[in-house]
Amino acid sequence: MKHLVYLITGIVLTVVFFVLATGSAFNIYERLYYSQGFNDALYNHNMYPTMALITIAITWGAAAIYYYAINSVKFDRWYHWLAVCAIVTLLVPIACYTYNDAVFASAGLGYIGESIVFQLQNLLWAPLLFVIASFSMRWWSSNCRHTPFPQ
Amino acid sequence: MRLFLFAIGGTGSRVLKSLIMLSAAGVKPLDENGRPVSDLEIVPVIIDPHKSNEDLKRTEALLNDYRIIRNRLYGNQLNVDGFFANRIVTLREIMSNTSVTLNDTFIFNLAAVEHDKFREFIGHATMNEANQALTSLLFADYQLENHMNIGFVGSPNIGSVALNEIKDSNEFKAFSNVFKQGDRIFFISSIFGGTGAAGFPIMVKNIRQAANLEGIENRDALSRAPIGGLTVLPYFNLEGSKDDTRIATSDFIVKTQSALYYYKGTLTGANDSNVNTIFYVGDQVRSNPYLYDPGEHGQRNNAHLVELVGAMAPLQFAGMPLSRLSDPDGYPLPTTAYEFALDKDVLNVNFLALGARTRQLIYKPMVRFHLLFLYLRTGFRDMIGQGFTEDAPKIKSDFTASQFYRTLTDQFLHGYTDWLVEMYDNTRSVGLFNIGENDMNRAIADVGTRKGLLGHKNVDNNVFKAEMNRISRDNPKYSAATVEYKLLDLFWQAATKIIDERYENIN
Repeated sequence: MKHLVYLITGIVLTVVFFVLATGSAFNIYERLYYSQGFNDALYNHNMYPTMALITIAITWGAAAIYYYAINSVKFDRWYHWLAVCAIVTLLVPIACYTYNDAVFASAGLGYIGESIVFQLQNLLWAPLLFVIASFSMRWWSSNCRHTPFPQ
Repeated sequence: MRLFLFAIGGTGSRVLKSLIMLSAAGVKPLDENGRPVSDLEIVPVIIDPHKSNEDLKRTEALLNDYRIIRNRLYGNQLNVDGFFANRIVTLREIMSNTSVTLNDTFIFNLAAVEHDKFREFIGHATMNEANQALTSLLFADYQLENHMNIGFVGSPNIGSVALNEIKDSNEFKAFSNVFKQGDRIFFISSIFGGTGAAGFPIMVKNIRQAANLEGIENRDALSRAPIGGLTVLPYFNLEGSKDDTRIATSDFIVKTQSALYYYKGTLTGANDSNVNTIFYVGDQVRSNPYLYDPGEHGQRNNAHLVELVGAMAPLQFAGMPLSRLSDPDGYPLPTTAYEFALDKDVLNVNFLALGARTRQLIYKPMVRFHLLFLYLRTGFRDMIGQGFTEDAPKIKSDFTASQFYRTLTDQFLHGYTDWLVEMYDNTRSVGLFNIGENDMNRAIADVGTRKGLLGHKNVDNNVFKAEMNRISRDNPKYSAATVEYKLLDLFWQAATKIIDERYENIN
């Protein structure tokens, strides 16, 4: 029961992230970085929801792979989890930047500098969501349920 | 049911040691349907005047360790499945409050030992001339001079006199107090020495004639009790001694023949129902020569295949249906004799050399126990703080300093290693496992792991860790259990699965 509460809480927090990442009145992406033309372009090309989904997919996907696909006694220590977290933290900004760049290129826009600075904030969101995903789903893993630290 | 197990003399102690090892591995007596005998308690009583006998001391230490470990694992529970499953108790432990006082020990306190020499024990100095002359006919001078506290030094004629007082002892009274209908009695003794050869018939006589004894309870139950015996025939060699020939290998066969004739007339004859079941085990291939030691320095003989085989006899006896031991009116049936044979008559005995029934009984439990031994020695400590050890109840690092863990690893498993090595070094050499091999894939002699898609399946500490993690996850069985039980039960279940799935099947 306790574990189910963790899962539901994790899903709720992730949905809240998605809502706040895609909102127009209050947008957490824009709270951390705002540049008039660049953010307008992101909004107008509807890139916030996709970036949020990429972030959620990578973090939850990585957690699922770690806890259920790898799920190995040889990879069950806190530093193994931290390594996956580090990879996720790097992968999310790269994936989002690649996506942004592709959309801007197809629209004939050039925001390379802003895009790089903007993606720095994913160094915060990615590990945060990975932690949320980890604590939502780790309980049913046979070998890694006590990673990164015991229940 | 209680199985009162009288282990007489040095061979009795050594066979008992093998029984302790089998019990630690989880070998349990099975009934005719292959189910474990329910509500079984084993009550070993070691009868040996030679208290400084190293074999006796080692067996007693293992029995005490076994008790500590088992109590911590299961408390007073009887019908359990796992390592250390058989409940082994002292007479004192099962006694209700009676006027009999008894030490909480597995060793029978023989009052005869308090006398310095056999001559003093029989009161030779106070005999008249005619009785002294008769005594001289019955006993050699060296036998009269025999120190009682070193045993009977291969002289059953001394034993038959000295042990006759057992019936008056507190231990025998306590035994008669606790013996109930449905319980069984089993004797382990050698036939080619002094203590065992004499003790077995005397004990049987006293039990069957309990009705004539004073201060004895449950006389009817005792006189009708199912009685079994393991008679160990010659199987070991002694180094010769130029100066002292009190015990000589060359006498073993003659002594055996004489004793067998005597047994036939009094215990095990065709129409004799004093002993209902008798198991004979011996080996024409003699052991490596043991150090000649008539008692002064504490006899210490290496473990031997015959003792391992012998240890299965009381288990088989305990599992026999009552209809093979008593008639419908509850009176004991005449003797049935059993022998043991290897499937392959080889000098290097492994599991494959044992017969199918023996393998069925001991292969899996012994492999499980050996894997536990390897796991505790090579893997467990590094796993504390991970996986199943973090599930409630948590196994913390201070667990390895607990009395349970130290008794198990420092003492009991140390005794287990000695036992394995001694059997391996002996003749016949018993190499059930590859001694000194820490690789679980190669631990069982001549039994490898199964072939999988990518070569042979692997067995190592991580495989055990993964399986134990899986079993432990959200398992309500352990929430109220002790950490000791959790660890050994998890390993038991994991090993059962891993042996089935990953090792070649030889059963």
